[in-house]
Amino acid sequence: MNKKLEAFETYVLNHKDSHYRFVYNYVKNEQDALDVIQDSIVKAMTKLDQLKNVDAMKSWFYQILARTAIDVLRKNQKVVYADFDAIESQLPLQHDVYEDFDLKAALEKLPVEYKTIVHLRFYEMFKIEEIAEILNLNLNTVKTRLYSALKKLRLELGEDML
Amino acid sequence: MKDFDKLREAMMAEETSTKLDGVVDQALSKGRKGYLRQKWQKRTLVFASASIFFFSLINLNPVISNAFSEIPVIGKFVKVMLVKNWSMQDENVSLNVNTPKLAGVGNEKLEATLNEKYMEENKALYDLYIKDMEEIKKMGGHMGVDSDYFVVTDSPRVFSIGRYVVEMVGSSSTTIKYDNIDPELGIVITLKSLFKDDTYVDLISKEIANQMIEEMKKDPDKMYWVNDETIPYEGIKADQAFYITKEGHLIISFDKYEVAPGYMGICEFTIPYDIIKDILVSDVYVKSK
Repeated sequence: MNKKLEAFETYVLNHKDSHYRFVYNYVKNEQDALDVIQDSIVKAMTKLDQLKNVDAMKSWFYQILARTAIDVLRKNQKVVYADFDAIESQLPLQHDVYEDFDLKAALEKLPVEYKTIVHLRFYEMFKIEEIAEILNLNLNTVKTRLYSALKKLRLELGEDML
Repeated sequence: MKDFDKLREAMMAEETSTKLDGVVDQALSKGRKGYLRQKWQKRTLVFASASIFFFSLINLNPVISNAFSEIPVIGKFVKVMLVKNWSMQDENVSLNVNTPKLAGVGNEKLEATLNEKYMEENKALYDLYIKDMEEIKKMGGHMGVDSDYFVVTDSPRVFSIGRYVVEMVGSSSTTIKYDNIDPELGIVITLKSLFKDDTYVDLISKEIANQMIEEMKKDPDKMYWVNDETIPYEGIKADQAFYITKEGHLIISFDKYEVAPGYMGICEFTIPYDIIKDILVSDVYVKSK
C-alpha cells in the first residue's frame, strides 16, 4: 500500500522535467503548465488506490496529465479540437528551401497533436497501444500521426521504432 | 540510431521551469495528506515542508497485527505490550516512538535482556533526536522519527517481532530489526543458529542475487544494486535481518538503501527450502512446506 505511494513519489520526482515538457506542449505557457502538473499530482494521489498495477503507473499518470492539460485548454478556450487529421490533409506540402535543417526548431513548430505522440514514443518509450490509451485515440490514428511527425522532422527511423 | 539520438537530444533541450521543483514538492505534500488521511485515521501524521524535505512511508508487512493499538497483542504463548510511548509534534519536528515489552518468552533472563534492549535502543533514539532537534529548529527545518513494532509470526516454536525506525531528515531512511524467539526453549533464533556451517552466507547471498536479476527482468521499473559497478552487491551479512513465517518460510529483509535505491523501500526475499535444506540444522523452524 505505502510502497505504491513511495513508488509514485519517486516516479514523479524523477520524471518531473519530462512531465513538464509534455504538458507544456499543450498549454504553451509556464503558469498553466505548472498548474497542470500540480493538479495532476494531487489528483493522482487521491486516486492512487484505484491503480491496481504499479507497472501501469507511467501510462496511468500520463493519462491524467493529458486529460488535465486538455481541461485547462478547454477552460481557456484556446483550442477547439476539431477534426485535426482532416484539416492537416488539406494543407499544401511544405517545400523547404533551407539547406540547414534545424531539428530543434522543427520540433518546436510541431503541432501539439504530433508532439505529444513523439514525446510519448521516443522520450517515455511507450508502446503504440499505450499511447492510444493515454491520449484516448484510435490505434491507426496514433500510427498515422507518428509517421507524419517523423516526416516533418525529417527523421529516418527504422520500422521497428514505429 | 543516430537520428534517434538527435531526436532525444532535441527533446531534452526543451522547456523547463525553475519553479517546477517547488510546485512538485508542494503538490506531493498536498497529495500525500489527502492519501494518508483516508488510509491512516488513527496514526499521528508527519507533514512535509515546501522545498527541500520529502518523506516516504515504509512498506509494512501485510501480516502485521494490532501494531498501532494499545491493547496487548495476545499471542498464544508470548505476549507483547506497548510499554512506553514518546511522542511530540509541532511544526518542525515530529516524534513517535513505541517501545514493546514481551512476556511469556519462556526464559526470564532472555525476556529481561530483550525488553532492556528495546528500551535502551529507543531511549538512545529519543536522546539523539532531542539533541538534533534544537539544531533543526534553529535552521527552520523539519525532521521526524517514527518507530513502532509489529508481530510477524506467533506460533508455538517461532515468535517473530519486528521493529521499524523511519527517520525523516531530508530524505528518509527505514530500518527494520527482527527478533525471532523460540518460546518453548526460551531462546533467540539467530540466522547463524539455523545452519550447520557458515556456507549459508554465500548460498543465500547467491540465491538472492538470482532472484533480484529475475525480478528486474520481469519488471524494468525495479532496480537492485546487483551487477552494479558503482555500488556492488555484497550479499547478506552473517546476522542479516530475517524472520520466519508461520508456514516456516525463511524471509531475508534488507533495509531501505541496503541493496537497492531508496524508491524500492524495504526489500524482502523468500529463501526456498530446497536451496538451504542441505545445510539446515533441523526443520523445527524452517520447514519444507
